[in-house]
Amino acid sequence: MSYEPKIVGFLCNWCSYTGADLAGTSRIQYPANVRIIRVMCSARIDPTFVMDALAQGADGVLICGCHPGDCHYSEGNYKAMRRFPLLKNLLKSYGIEDDRVRQAWVSASEGQRFADIVGDMTERVRALGPSRVHSTLLADQRER
Amino acid sequence: MDELKIGVYVCNCGTNIAHIVNAEGVKEAAAALPDVVIARSYRYMCSNPGQEMIVKDIQELGLNRVVVAACSPRMHERTFRNACKTGGLNPYLFEMANIREQCSWVHADKLAATEKAKALTHGAVNRVRHHEPLDSLTAEMCPSTLVLGGGIAGMTAALELAMAGHPVYLVEKADHLGGNLARVDSTAPYLDSARDLLTERITHLRENPDISIMLNSQLKSLSGFIGNFSATIETNGGPNPPERKVIPVGNVVVATGYKEFDASRITHYGYGKLPDVITSFEFEQMMRAGRIQTKSGKPPQYVAIIHCVGSRNQEFHGYCSRVCCMTALKYANEIKSALPDSYVSDVYIDMHAFGKGCEDFYKKSSEIKTLFLMYGKNESPVIRKAGPNDDCGMLIEVDEKLSGERIEIPADLVILMVGMEARPDAGEVARLVNISADKDGWFIESHPKLDPVATTTDGIYIAGTCAAPKDIPDSVAQARAAAGRILAKIAKGKIEIDGVFAEINEDRCSGCRMCNELCPYSAIEFYADKKRSHVIPAACKACGACVAACPSGAIKGRHFTDQQIYAQIEGVLA
Amino acid sequence: MAIRINPKLVTAIAKYGAEDVQKCYHCGNCSAVCLHADETFNFPRKPMRLLQMGLEKRIEASLDPWLCYYCGQCSTQCPRGAEPGETMMSLRRWLTARYDFTGISRLFYQSWKAELAAILIMAVLTAAGFLLYGFSYGDLRVYDGPGAFLPSSAVHIFDWAMAIVLVLLLGSNAARMWWLTTGSNKKIKFDFWLYVKKLYTLPLHFFTQKRYADCESRQPWKLHLWLMLSYVTMLVLIMFFLEPMQAGPDIRWSVHALGYAAALGLLVTVVYAIHGRVKKSEVHMKHSHESDWIFLFMLVLVTVSGVLQHVLHRAGTDMAANIAYVVHLALVVPMLTLEVPFSKWSHLAYRPLAMYLAEIHRVALPQPKALTEPAELMKMAS
Repeated sequence: MSYEPKIVGFLCNWCSYTGADLAGTSRIQYPANVRIIRVMCSARIDPTFVMDALAQGADGVLICGCHPGDCHYSEGNYKAMRRFPLLKNLLKSYGIEDDRVRQAWVSASEGQRFADIVGDMTERVRALGPSRVHSTLLADQRER
Repeated sequence: MDELKIGVYVCNCGTNIAHIVNAEGVKEAAAALPDVVIARSYRYMCSNPGQEMIVKDIQELGLNRVVVAACSPRMHERTFRNACKTGGLNPYLFEMANIREQCSWVHADKLAATEKAKALTHGAVNRVRHHEPLDSLTAEMCPSTLVLGGGIAGMTAALELAMAGHPVYLVEKADHLGGNLARVDSTAPYLDSARDLLTERITHLRENPDISIMLNSQLKSLSGFIGNFSATIETNGGPNPPERKVIPVGNVVVATGYKEFDASRITHYGYGKLPDVITSFEFEQMMRAGRIQTKSGKPPQYVAIIHCVGSRNQEFHGYCSRVCCMTALKYANEIKSALPDSYVSDVYIDMHAFGKGCEDFYKKSSEIKTLFLMYGKNESPVIRKAGPNDDCGMLIEVDEKLSGERIEIPADLVILMVGMEARPDAGEVARLVNISADKDGWFIESHPKLDPVATTTDGIYIAGTCAAPKDIPDSVAQARAAAGRILAKIAKGKIEIDGVFAEINEDRCSGCRMCNELCPYSAIEFYADKKRSHVIPAACKACGACVAACPSGAIKGRHFTDQQIYAQIEGVLA
Repeated sequence: MAIRINPKLVTAIAKYGAEDVQKCYHCGNCSAVCLHADETFNFPRKPMRLLQMGLEKRIEASLDPWLCYYCGQCSTQCPRGAEPGETMMSLRRWLTARYDFTGISRLFYQSWKAELAAILIMAVLTAAGFLLYGFSYGDLRVYDGPGAFLPSSAVHIFDWAMAIVLVLLLGSNAARMWWLTTGSNKKIKFDFWLYVKKLYTLPLHFFTQKRYADCESRQPWKLHLWLMLSYVTMLVLIMFFLEPMQAGPDIRWSVHALGYAAALGLLVTVVYAIHGRVKKSEVHMKHSHESDWIFLFMLVLVTVSGVLQHVLHRAGTDMAANIAYVVHLALVVPMLTLEVPFSKWSHLAYRPLAMYLAEIHRVALPQPKALTEPAELMKMAS
């Protein structure tokens, strides 16, 4: 069977999760590769969640929050925005490709946008092939 | 931890979930997970029998964790939490997996969707293991209400609340009440006088001792939470320096209204250059003054009314401003009755005659010999000055859709039906009260169908045109709805605060105080004596910013703990 | 090149009977139900639109209103009560007035009093003329033969003179119709042989009105055909067989039988039409313009007086017959000279001519194609 990427999505409750729900009520179709985990705000997303997801076998991680200026908790997405480049640098040093982890802003009324982002990301991660993080860690564990 | 007994319920939602996701398969997969003592698949979990199933299983099987795989938690998390509560289980020992809005409704591939549904359920089961029972807190409900905006919506809400005997602060930016309705002469379709509507409202308002009317005033800041807001109002009273007042309120109704589209942005209408091209509001002024005439003082023989100025146009605003079609017909009727020998051309895209009496009004307008001319969306008629030999002042050139001809329409007076726009200060208002606005600047309601006056922030309600273009009946209905919701809350007396907030483990806290500045609600205080930080539960909104930031890992985000999330990640990837 | 609309036309055309045209909101139900609408489903919606927008030149150039026989299905279907059937009728009246270069037609349609006055004047003049002739050359007591008050030979000459004048008038108006609809249309090249080839349509439609038979109910077609054939029979008898018609007491049954049949046909159909219009029993009889009434009443009076003078003559009371004959002529002459070129009866020429010209248009002009294939619509959209 050909490889189907597994993508974990962290969506903030107020904007992006609602936007994803709107894609649902509008019946906008997108690939089934993303598994969504709800948090209240993108500021809650600890960079270790991303690392853990990759370690557990995710081929890609998507982080979504409200558009800058529109955070339900006022500035949460700014905090998420600041953490992200640091995380990306760290992942780069581990050899994890850029397209595997993405941050996007989706508002509650942007169902189509959410679907487009998921579609785009799925294709990029598919093109990259399976992530070797999980298999490398497993091999490493077996060695010990 | 006690022995875990997890119950998993997979909803079919009729065929909404079941026609794509193999609900039986998901149930089987869930049943195979460790600690799951019962897994069921049922048609409508949110129905009474569905909920009773959960209650019975909790009581008979001694379940101490419940997972429902169904629609979005934004839909029914409360429903199922209540069911758990009824069964005697703490409502927070519950988790939902969204296999409808984020699965069956968006994926066509049945196998892939079922696999995903199994993974999401697995994630929910993993997560719920680590849930803890939480209790909610209670707080006082202040019976005062802040109403922002003194237009028809704001005034209606204020009156409704005050007549129930509760204090209201009505804050209006301008120096008079009435908003945009004060600029209007009569209303469609029954041609009632707007002035009468307003006078009635304003008189009652002024007579009511419970309403404090604050003109020339603006909201400067709002802090707190539902039932316990603190609003700072600044009043600019002419020669005196601006005055600030801090008032405690329990709820806020935002009824800040709209602004009309600036017609000069569409250059080929010549607004601002051709003297007899006017906007609908300018025509209202003419009607109130009692004389319909061109700039040269003569009554017009040909009048043209153009619909959708700034609306239904990709270049400006794509939406329909809703009220203009009937208002345009109102003008046609007024002009024909004032000037029976005139010829009125109504240049429209579609005729939106949606309300009571409106279709009949449209028919009546054709009976008085209004000429209806249709143009296309995203096109714009071009207005130019007529020649010296023409019997009219201006000519409007447009591709007419019902005849297929390119025509010239004679006009001495052109009325532009300018659309509604969000006010330029709408963004600022949204930020002040912590609500969202959509891409057009209209405030977003909690649910477009089921909850049109509430917002995602508890205690903040929206009413009238600030939420979307609408007519007077709808604005009044929303204002009364918002007032009704608030009265219900006030009647309960106390407010229940979610048991979800952040908690600092004092043993782990190093006193670095990084979290103190992070909190947008200033909900974290520092105990100088103990040199430890502490979260004020009632003020905390559970965003989790501090939880992620704490370098010592001392802050636990209740119901969104690291442990729970790691478990969920593992589950969805299994 | 943009065309200037004229909002004033609708007010002006109210006099011709189109009072409800502004109610039309172009749903197209009328065109969907019209049996004569072609693939493009433009009729009667397009003339309604041209009228609403006051595009006089386009209406004048259009043959469409004449292709309609007023079955009234469109008016029945119209959800707004815009009366497309009656509006097409009004357009026919308006076009009649436009084709007429004298201006008399316009006067008659806008003022029924003027039409009645003209009829009265013509009647008085006719009566005076014939009485003068009769008293000068004949005896009031003699109906036919030597000394007849109104000898058939004299009346015959008068009839032909009148006929020639009528043909000239109506012919010139018809020529104007041709010019406005076809001759001045630069897109139609003048092809002599095409005109010759299609000439058969003139007598075909004149004598059979076969398109009328396509309408949903065939009864109006049958009645109209009966009326028309009765009238044509009577006309042929009068123009070519006046002498045997008038001569007596020996009856030439071959002539008289036709005469009686024609008279009966005229009476029955006209009385039915009047009854229908009074009771508004059928959709095309719900609206009656003054010109409709004048036409019907003139026809019934002419028929009755014609029958009367014949009966009186057969009964032997020749003086009474002569008086009745004068009355009959005083009614026939205004009816023919005024109704045929200037009023409702002109349709006897305009409608067959329209059918003929429509055939020519069909061949000479590229026909607008209706986009009814979804594939074609998709191509257009992309």
